Formats: sequence, C-alpha cells, structure tokens
Amino acid sequence: MKMEYFKSLKSVLGGPTPGSAPPTGAEIVERLVDRVKNSTLLEDRRDACRALKALSKQYRVEVGAQGMDALCQVLELDRADGETVSYALDILCNVMSVEVFDEEEHPEVYQSSKTSLGEQFTEIFMKQTDNIGLVLGFLEEDDFQVRWPALKLLTSLIHNRPRDLQEIILVSPMSVSKLMDLLLDSREVIRNDALILLTHLTKGNANIQKIVAFENAFDRLFDVMADEGYADGGIVVEDCLAIFHNLLKNNTSNQNFFKEGSYIQRLSPMFALPNESEEIGWSSQKVNNILCSLQVIRMLVMPGNPTQVTLSCQRSLRSTGILEALCGILMASGVPVDVLTETINAVAEVIRGNPANQEYFLNVMAPSKPPRPAIVVLLLSMVNEKQPLDLRCSVLYSFQCFLYKNEVGQAQLVQTLLPSSAEVGTGTTGHLLVAGLLSGHMLSTWFSAVALSHALVENPAQKEQLLRVALATAPGAQPVSLLQQCCTLLQQSNKVQSKVGILMLLAMWLSHCPLAVRDLLNSPTCIPYLTAQVGASEHQEHEELLQGLCAFLMGICVIFNDDSVSSYTRESLCQLISKRVGQDVFLDKLSEVSKHELYGKAHKHPQLQVISAEHVLLDHEFCKLFKALEGMVMKAVTPKESGMHNGATELTLTATENSLLLQYKELIRSQDHQIQEMRRQLQQYEIDRQSSQMHIEELNATVSQLRDQARLLSAAANTGVTGALETDVQRLSMTTEEENKKSVEYEEELYKLRKDQEDLLVLLADQDLKINTYKNRLQQLGEKVNTV
Amino acid sequence: MFEIEQQNQSIHDCFFVSGVGKSCLLLQFTDKRFQPVHDLTIGVEFGARMITIDGKQIKLQIWDTAGQEAFRSITRSYYRGAAGALLVYDITRRETFNHLTTWLEDARQHSNSNMVIMLIGNKSDLETRREVKKEEGEAFAHEHGLIFMETSAKTAANVEEAFINTAKEIYEKIQEGVFDINNEANGIKIGPQHSPTNPSLPSNNPQPGGGCC
Repeated sequence: MKMEYFKSLKSVLGGPTPGSAPPTGAEIVERLVDRVKNSTLLEDRRDACRALKALSKQYRVEVGAQGMDALCQVLELDRADGETVSYALDILCNVMSVEVFDEEEHPEVYQSSKTSLGEQFTEIFMKQTDNIGLVLGFLEEDDFQVRWPALKLLTSLIHNRPRDLQEIILVSPMSVSKLMDLLLDSREVIRNDALILLTHLTKGNANIQKIVAFENAFDRLFDVMADEGYADGGIVVEDCLAIFHNLLKNNTSNQNFFKEGSYIQRLSPMFALPNESEEIGWSSQKVNNILCSLQVIRMLVMPGNPTQVTLSCQRSLRSTGILEALCGILMASGVPVDVLTETINAVAEVIRGNPANQEYFLNVMAPSKPPRPAIVVLLLSMVNEKQPLDLRCSVLYSFQCFLYKNEVGQAQLVQTLLPSSAEVGTGTTGHLLVAGLLSGHMLSTWFSAVALSHALVENPAQKEQLLRVALATAPGAQPVSLLQQCCTLLQQSNKVQSKVGILMLLAMWLSHCPLAVRDLLNSPTCIPYLTAQVGASEHQEHEELLQGLCAFLMGICVIFNDDSVSSYTRESLCQLISKRVGQDVFLDKLSEVSKHELYGKAHKHPQLQVISAEHVLLDHEFCKLFKALEGMVMKAVTPKESGMHNGATELTLTATENSLLLQYKELIRSQDHQIQEMRRQLQQYEIDRQSSQMHIEELNATVSQLRDQARLLSAAANTGVTGALETDVQRLSMTTEEENKKSVEYEEELYKLRKDQEDLLVLLADQDLKINTYKNRLQQLGEKVNTV
Repeated sequence: MFEIEQQNQSIHDCFFVSGVGKSCLLLQFTDKRFQPVHDLTIGVEFGARMITIDGKQIKLQIWDTAGQEAFRSITRSYYRGAAGALLVYDITRRETFNHLTTWLEDARQHSNSNMVIMLIGNKSDLETRREVKKEEGEAFAHEHGLIFMETSAKTAANVEEAFINTAKEIYEKIQEGVFDINNEANGIKIGPQHSPTNPSLPSNNPQPGGGCC
C-alpha cells in the first residue's frame, strides 16, 4: 500500500534521476508539503494532501514539523473542498494523536521527552486560536468525511490540552451549541464520538458545565439513553451517565436545574428491575450502567452539597419513586454485590438528614417469611463476618445516615434494648447490634459499636436511656449493665479494632453525660486499666491510636465528672494523670489520635473510606467529637496555678449548663460560618475593588491621554490662527508701507506743483510789470491804451 | 399544533450587567427573601419558579448571568437559547444606566430576534439616592421597544410583576405563533404531557448595570 504511494509519487514528483539514491521519507514529505503550500491548482494540493495522509503515521514527526502551517492554510483556504479538508484533518489527527503508531519511525527520540509527540504538536497547533475556530466550523459541515475527522481532531486536542481547549471553547459563543447538535446526528459514530468529546470537555470546568446544561444537554442525553435502552444499553449509556456525572458534580446551579427541570424522574427507568423470572439480566455493561446511574444520584445528594439543594433533591427522589426503586434493588435477589453496595450507599445519602425519607426507609420490609424490616436484614449483613467488607461498610453508612439528625430513630433503636420494651427477642436492631458487639469478631464488634454510637450523637437523653440497658450474660447470672459489659470487653479483647470501636462508643456515650461517667467510674477496674494503657511506654502497631483513645476517654471522665464518685473526683483524676502518667506524656498520647493517618479523611467524609480491613478504624462522628473536645481535655488536665475559679466552673457543668454550652457552641459555629462567609465576600470585594481600581487607572490613563490630545489640539489650533494673523499683519503692514510711499509721492508732487505755481506767479508778476512798462511807454508815445 | 391546555411549558430568561442586584431580584422572586450581601455571581447561576398565566402552570427557568465584563464572553452563550431577558440597571448609579446601550446591542446581536426584553430599574426603595429619573428609563425603553418597570429587590415591590409580565409577553408571543415551540433554541419547552404539574418555560433575564443590592 505504502509502496504504491511511493510509486505514484515518483510520477508526481518527477521521480529521482536514474542512478541517484531514492529520496528519503523526509525529503518526500518536504516536497509534498511544498506542493500543498505552493501549488496553484486545487487538484494538485488535494493529491499532495492525499499522499501526505498516507505518510502521516510513518513519518509523523516530519509531517507534523514541516506540514503544520501548510495544513492550517488548507483548512482556511480550501475549506470549500470537502475532500482536501478531510485529508488535512486526517493528517492533523494522526500527527496529534494520543497513541503511538506501530509504523511510526524514530519514536524513541521522543520517548525521553516528558510530553508526548501528540501533545507537542497540539501545543503548536493551538497557539493559533483561529485554528480551533476553523475546526469547530467544520462541525457544521454535514459531510461525514469532514465532520467526523473534525470531531476526532477535537477529541485528540482535548486529550492533550484539556484546559486550553476548554478556555477557547468557553469564549466562542456558538461552539457548545455546535457540539450539542452533533448529538442529533443520525450517524451513530458521530453521536458517540461527540459524547466522548463532551465527557472530557465537561470535566472540572463549571462554566462549560453550565453552558452545556443550558444547551439542553439533559434532554439530549436522556433521549440517547432512551434510544439505547437505558440500563440494558451499551457503553454509550455509560458515556451519557459519565457526562451527567460531570455536569452535576459540585455544580449547585446545574443540580438546581436538574431538579427544577424535572429530570430526576427521567432517571427512574434506569432502576427498573427485570422480572424475577428473567435472571439473565446482569451483564457487566448493565452493572456499569447502574453503578454510574447510582453515582449520578449521589451527586445530587452528597453530604458536601448545600443543604437546600440536597433536601429538595431528596424530596424529588422520593416523590418520583426512585427511592422506592432503590429499596427494591436492596431487597431483590440475585443482585451483584457491587451494585448492591453502591445502591446501599445511594439509599444512605438519599435519606440522610431527611426525616420523611428516613421514615420511609424504616418502613421498608424485606420479602422474607415472616417479613422483616429491611434495616434488620441489612444489619444482619453488617455483623456477618462472611460478607464482603465494602458491603458491610455501606450498611454502616446507611444506618448512620438513617440516624443522622433523626432523634426519633435514635430513640427507637435504644428503646428496643430497654427492659420495658415489649419487643423482647432477637429480631430487633438493638439486639443485633449488641449481639454483634459481644460476638468477639474483630470487625463485627467495631461495626456494632460504631452503629450504636450513632444513636447517641447529640442526644443526651438517649445516653441516659442506654445506661438502663442490662444484659444477662449467662443463665441465672446477675444481669450486667451494657456499660459495664463494654468495659469488660475493652479489657478482655485482644483485637485492636474491637477496642478502638468500643472506646469510640464509650467516648460518645460519656461525653456530655455525667451519669454515664459516674457509672464508668464505679466500675472498679476501668480507670486503672485506662491509666495503665496511657502510661505504657511500649506499644505495637496501631496501639498509639489505642493509647490516644484511652487518654481521650480519661479526659472525658475529667470534664464531665460531677464529683459523685468519691474516689475519682475531677481533682483526684487529674492528680492520677499527673502522678502516674505525667501531663506531658498524657498530652502526647492524646495527640496521637489527630495525628493518625486516617483521622483527616474520617473527619472530612461521613462515609468510611476503606481500602482494606485495616482501614476500619476511625468513625466520622467520633472524629467530630474528638475535635470538639480535644482542647477542653487538654485544658482540664493541665494544672491551673491561678484562675482556679474560672477553670473550676467550666468543669462543673450541670445538665442545663451543658445544654447552654452546646447552644453557645452552636452559636460560635454559626458565627464561624458567618465569618468565613464574610471573608469570602471580602475577598470578592477585594477582587472587585482591584478590578475597579484597574478600571479607574485605565480611565485615568484615558483622561490624561485625552488631556494631552486636548493640549496638542489647542497648540495646533493656536499656531494656525497666529499664522493667519501674521500673514494678515504682514499683508496689512505692506499695504501701509505702500500707502505711505504713495502719500510721500503725492506730497512730492504737490510740492512740485506748488513750486510751479509760485514760479508761474512770479512769472505773472513779471509779465504784469512788463505790461505796465509797455503801457506807460505806449502812453508816452501817444497811443491810447485801455487801462484795465 | 400547539395546544396549551395539555402542555407544561418552561421559559428561559437571562440577566445582564454587573452589580445592580440581579441576583437579589432573582432570589426575591424564587425564594421570596432578600439577602443584603450577596456573593458576586461567577459565570451564571440557575433559579426557577412556577407561575400561573391564564390558568396554565408555567415554570420559569432563569439564568442569572454575571454582569462583570470579564464574564461577558461566557454570558453571551446564554442569549441564544433565551425566550426573554431582563435588562437591569441601578437607579442610584447613573453609570449602570449609561451602560445599557452596550448590553442591549450585545443581547440583540446574539439572541433570537423575538426575544422579549424587559428593562428594570432596580433599587426603587432608595429614592433619596436616585440618580436616574423614572422618565429617563421610560424614554429609553420606549426608544428601544422594551417593557419598563422599576423594582426593589429589598421591598419586593414590582418583582413579581417584572418576571410575570415578561413571562406573559412571551406567552402571548407563543399564542400568536411567533415562537416556534418545537425549536428548543427559542428557550421554550413543553413539559411531559402527563405531568401537568411540571410545565416549564425557559426564561432568560439579562441584567445590565453594575452594583449588587
């Protein structure tokens, strides 16, 4: 195939002169590029492009390095010729491709470089942002051989330079619409490739996400999914769901739009279970599709989202029947375990903190005989060592979310353990948890202890109620209180995770509950055990954490001590700590908890983040408690030389004071929140101010520019006027001079005339005289003369 | 053929111009509350409310676009799909009024030619600090063929009317057949036939001007 091109090239290029070596690939590429660039005939450019395309994989470097400009020029100037454009786009695709081609020559030269060849060429191509505009323009061509390579090229670009391409697309107003229109293309390959491009485009850019949503993405995607058969569809459905996922992740505006646009209900066909009879229904693609849809649901109700959005989405999820469908999956048989696990997680977040949904969940019944509550069935899995770890964690999460801000649920759980309860038996949630606690299995104990502790979160009444619970450990033996039993377990167990679980339960129980503290202090061996643990200098793996938890529990016994047990009053406990353990050691051990590698994550995420069984250690609610009380514990065990009065009052909190304290804490928390809010606003104002400042500066610059101009203009204007005046003046003065000269001439003339006249007068007088003389002579001669 | 009785509709709106209280107007309309300090809108934010016109349930979907110049290129993307726009200025700041022409040109250039535009002078509660007379707003609106209204996001005066009048205008255009309801690019969408509680009409409120309430 390639050789054929070479042969045909020979004729095109005139062929090598006989006897000389055949041209190298680089030379051929160079000549072809030259033809693309300089040929005047379209056919020649098209042929050259076709030839270049054939070489563009093997001589990728040469074609990319020499041909980029020429190809861009083709895109610009030959855009009317679909075939040529198609070749050019194909070549660019090959040159910027993410993959390395088998036939590529010298790829090893570039393997050392950190960025791939495709990436380097992409960077060069994108420097000219107009190029992207050209490629986007080709998406509007209906011609398959143009539209498809343009789409593929964009996909390569987004792979190589996602941020840059996102920014360019963001500022070209119609580009997102063009992309969305591709979803309506009847040619599946275009629609599917467009989905892939959109997946990358919507990743991590909130503004693009919003525009894509605005351009009716939700409708289009649901249409595609419906065409493909929802959960039974192929990977295209998964791609659609990936886009939904991107559009909704941490994007409150889109979440609102999704909810308000009634799109939640359009998700429900995803969870339609096949009839029990068709057992065939779980291909791996179907599993992926359902997992992705569950992820989409979780994006709407994640604990990190604004409460307002979460609550309204939770409402919609229930009213549209999706919560019901999810619970149906929970109780169905034959569901793959990963689907089941993720469904439980999704149900957890759909009910979390929403009383109506929690109540719904409480009333879901499993189709067993006799029917049992779904919660009980789930908890059975949690305390069953044979179940997969992820599944057990998800059950804990759902239980935890069920109890979250749910005082009624908390009370009901504790109620099932109380002696007065009519429901004596093994089938209740409370009994399951206590059985798990006492099971002696490491993880079951941990899970049960933590689950039980969630019944006590911010609920002082249930802490006291739980004190009333007694257990019959052996037939005929005296019942032992649950608290006492926990202390015994703590001391007897040799498994770290069991102990950690029990310590967290005790800490939750005793905090803000002086009665529980009193019960614990009355247990003869408990405090000595804790003291020994905290004081021990050697420890095994994870025992630092254990010691830290023991120290924390002792600290709680100090803080919430009402001094009713004479041997362990606040003061004597403090003394015990300083004498037997030493304050520094105690504080050091205490700090081990927050220093633990899992603490940060557990504090941040309500859901347990578990990779393996060893990660089952710290619980979210416990970490919150620890963070709230750590400072108080440190203060309480540090001796106060002065200010005893102040310190003392803080340690003698009665129940009412406690609640007051809690109120203040709440207040501080909300104030904290406000402060943060205001800080953020301040920052924004600052940014605003800066931009205004810049604006002002710009304006100032403009003003001074204008002033300069004004000055310039007035100067110009001035010189113009004076010039005119000067010429005027000159002209006028010249005229004056002329006038002057003229008048002098006139004067001279006048003078001359006067002189002439005088002369004439003299002459006349002379003549007169002469006449008189002649008269007299005539008279004398006797002539009669007329005397005038 | 479009039969309104069976349809649920949604209308898109957009807002333009920065810092004049767009977000506060929207919040007042959707949540019936006033928030004196509001974060600067970054890009766009979505809001929605159901209203009734002629006994038909209509959902207004409103995109509150950032007014700042820096976001201009982003907000342009929202004009095309909008059936209506609210152009908002701040009556206590003349510069926001002076800016209107630019915004209007921009909107007209990038939008559907049938887009209904309403001009809003916001902060009518701050009469003492007024810099732009009501007559000026009216004149501007008259000159450019816009509907005009003064509102206060703080006291809620005219806020309902502003949104609902815009929606009515769009509704009338639909009835007259000016908008092709089958073309989503017009910003109008018919809801599912069997869920009459979910009508939505897309409406875009453009806001010109600067300054938050």
